[in-house]
Amino acid sequence: MKKLVYDIINKLNAQNITYADVRFTDTDNQQIYFEKGKLKYFGSDMDSLALGIRVLADGCWGFAGTTILTQTSIDKTIKRAISNARIGSKFRKEPASFKKLKQVQDSYLFKPIEDPFLMDDKYKIDFHEKVAQKLVGNEKIVYSNVYTEFYRQYKIFANTDGTFVDTLVYDTMPMMYVLASNGKQSMSRTYPGHMNARRGGFEEVRKVKLEENTDTIIEEAIKLLDAPRIEEERADIIIGSGHLALQLHESAGHATEADRIFGKEISYAGKTFIKPAMLGNFRYGSDLVNIYSDSTNKGGMGYHIVDDEGTPGATVDIVKNGILVDQQTSQENAALLGVQPSSNMLASYADDIPLIRMTNFCLAPGKGSLDDLIKSTENGYYIDFTKTWSIDDNRNNFQFTTEIGWKIENGELKHIVKEPTYFGITPEFWAACDGICGEEEWDFQGTFHCGKGEPGQAMHLSHGVAPARFKNIVCNVKA
Amino acid sequence: MQFQKELIKICEKYPQLKLNFHYKIWETDFLRFYQSQINYNISKTSISLSTTIYKEKKSYSFSLKDPTKEILQNKIDDVLKLIDQLPEDPDFVDLEDDLSKSAEKEKTNNIEKVSLKKKIEILEKFSSAVELYDFKIYGTFICNYRTLYIVNSNGLDKREISSPIYLECKAVNQKNEVTVLEAYGGERFENFNEEEFTSNLVGKVKAATGEVVDVESGEYEVVLAPRCIGDYLLYLESSIYVRSLDSKQSYFEGKIDQKVFPENVTINDNPSHPDLINFDYNGDGHIYKKLPIIEKGVFKNFFVDNYYGRKLKMDKNGAEGEALVMDTGDKELNEMIGSVKKGLYISSLHYMNFINRRETSITGLTRDGTFLIEDGKITKVVNNLRFTENISDIIKGITDIENKSYTIPYSSNYGEFGIYSARMPHVKVNGFKISSSTKTV
Repeated sequence: MKKLVYDIINKLNAQNITYADVRFTDTDNQQIYFEKGKLKYFGSDMDSLALGIRVLADGCWGFAGTTILTQTSIDKTIKRAISNARIGSKFRKEPASFKKLKQVQDSYLFKPIEDPFLMDDKYKIDFHEKVAQKLVGNEKIVYSNVYTEFYRQYKIFANTDGTFVDTLVYDTMPMMYVLASNGKQSMSRTYPGHMNARRGGFEEVRKVKLEENTDTIIEEAIKLLDAPRIEEERADIIIGSGHLALQLHESAGHATEADRIFGKEISYAGKTFIKPAMLGNFRYGSDLVNIYSDSTNKGGMGYHIVDDEGTPGATVDIVKNGILVDQQTSQENAALLGVQPSSNMLASYADDIPLIRMTNFCLAPGKGSLDDLIKSTENGYYIDFTKTWSIDDNRNNFQFTTEIGWKIENGELKHIVKEPTYFGITPEFWAACDGICGEEEWDFQGTFHCGKGEPGQAMHLSHGVAPARFKNIVCNVKA
Repeated sequence: MQFQKELIKICEKYPQLKLNFHYKIWETDFLRFYQSQINYNISKTSISLSTTIYKEKKSYSFSLKDPTKEILQNKIDDVLKLIDQLPEDPDFVDLEDDLSKSAEKEKTNNIEKVSLKKKIEILEKFSSAVELYDFKIYGTFICNYRTLYIVNSNGLDKREISSPIYLECKAVNQKNEVTVLEAYGGERFENFNEEEFTSNLVGKVKAATGEVVDVESGEYEVVLAPRCIGDYLLYLESSIYVRSLDSKQSYFEGKIDQKVFPENVTINDNPSHPDLINFDYNGDGHIYKKLPIIEKGVFKNFFVDNYYGRKLKMDKNGAEGEALVMDTGDKELNEMIGSVKKGLYISSLHYMNFINRRETSITGLTRDGTFLIEDGKITKVVNNLRFTENISDIIKGITDIENKSYTIPYSSNYGEFGIYSARMPHVKVNGFKISSSTKTV
């Protein structure tokens, strides 16, 4: 396939165009799904090949992608990418610019400890069946499932500036779910929660200890049926890592994608309350809040040598000591903002156009353990495991519900509360952060399902976080 | 077409197995625009085959991109080595066996009919029309063309061709970012009325040039645009799919033939409605026909597919909820707005998510034009607002329904950018709960 990509780049170099990049992906995917203890789905999508060609010509971007890799189809794809740019330029008032990039020739081939695609299928099924069987049998548990998805993608990236990089990655996402009912109402618990995807192979399934946690989620789901709700108008909340990753994702990650500033995502994902003039002076959070984009950390799913337009991986501060200092950018949007590109242009598959995407988007650790943070909380709640998330068009007003929370009184965890729901305005919320746990609690959370763009792309990405406390948060919202 | 014949031969070759094939040839031409200029245009083509193989109650599924007969045969051979080792699904009974066919329709390929040049000509007109008011256009203009073959061991051999068009045009005020939306969806481009579309868009732009204000949280009388009531009903569908009964997540469990909503609410799923994007079959290949969902407030039917229909011993009906039609009422829109002393007109919704699916509790936001109604008139633009509410309560709160309905396009966005539509009127709702303001438009 490398020769195929070289040949396409050579053909594009012979055209009168400003810039072009070519991507090829070969993606494998396997899914195991048990429902109420029974195997409902076992399947795979192997050797899913795709090719994408992006062209900048006459000041306009054109893109064509295909999964049909015959020579005729490839030639047609090259022509469509170029003609899409040239015809599109007739309705382009401000030509897109693109600075020539430094050449990179490199390779990164990740090796999992246990390659799920080489493992015995029967073993994987038996492993999950054992977990699934442990979730059934209790009369109050009316529904349960266990699901794991394995993913492997080989990618070649090349551009007309001379960059040529190939990459192989493995990602894994395990999950289990129970629904308890008492006939009047139902309550759910998941484990390890919605930010459950990690870079790695089957070892990531073992790490989360599904089987060892079945009794806990069954017990908690049943207890939630009779648990009280939060009654206070406002409360101090400590947010656990799984849910905090989503809080960071929605209210800081998407908000600082520069394409939103220029309205490029208005038609679907939305805008952002951030304006270019805010860079360097806008208070996004308290002094404790340091947020950065880091595509150089191999531990996260956002690692890359170059992004999908050839910009080398980078660590870029987005919020420094509470002040908004930069954005996640592409080459084109960085130029519009007068900043350096942050290496955030990515596509899910080769036949998708690259967009500004989070990579490893992180909240820097503070100090101390979670126990220390709880002990220093006189009155509040510790909440985790996302249930509902929603944020507005400008990434300003959010409302989240978690599956479970624990009342904190005088530094100790007490009874559980059901469906804790809190609401906030992004900069006010981050300004209320008065404690972030230290490195000992900091780890990567992640998802396969960050949706953006049209046609929609679901991106794998990670968030490095440690639990954090937020003071005086509105948490009495009820339907 | 040749490959579909190979699929039939493979079914015949393995009488001891139950095979199910979905073979899709799909193209899209996808234009995205912003600030009254092109962002990018995407052309994509894909050929894919999704297969499920059952050996008695054991199954394995796989997908292949642009497969040859040899690749498919090799994959089946691999599956046969594995399948005996898998646990059974005791709930599996059989694959779809509805052999009835819809009248096959050849459809125009709208990717060819509505070329990129044609799209640009149309967008330039929209751009000029709103420029006068200091607005620019943002959005998407999409044409798909898909041929789907559904073949299985029970003798199903069906083909469905679709070529939907989806145009979503937002006009954004360049000073304060107040946004309004006009959309078109359909398969017959000759029905697209460019003049009417432009006039509607400009009408909304004019309404959006007023003062922007905030409102307090609380209960309001609201007029919901057709897109909004359509959105709520699409979310409520999660309780209408029969699978939700199995997972104990359905609001409608035990409520067939019970009055659940006001008598003026009647909703059908009608995939052959002349003003909607039409569908012939559901995902199983069962013929997809009109089905009553709510009749004069009474819940009538779940969407029953092959698997869960057999499991729960309910008659499968092939309905999928991709063509919802709400019956019109007897009120003019002006009359509905005119009857509101102080309330809201909500144009569009954003980022809804269930808090508790069975209870239909949901949170979400307004978007693309929220307006204050004072003394029966739209007077001001309102910041986008958050609602936290039970969908069932919203529908129970419907007091008036417009005497006219509109086609609203929706997209599933992911995968092959599925486009479908609904036919909805404006509705007036009492006691709509606004839980907070976003302080932005």
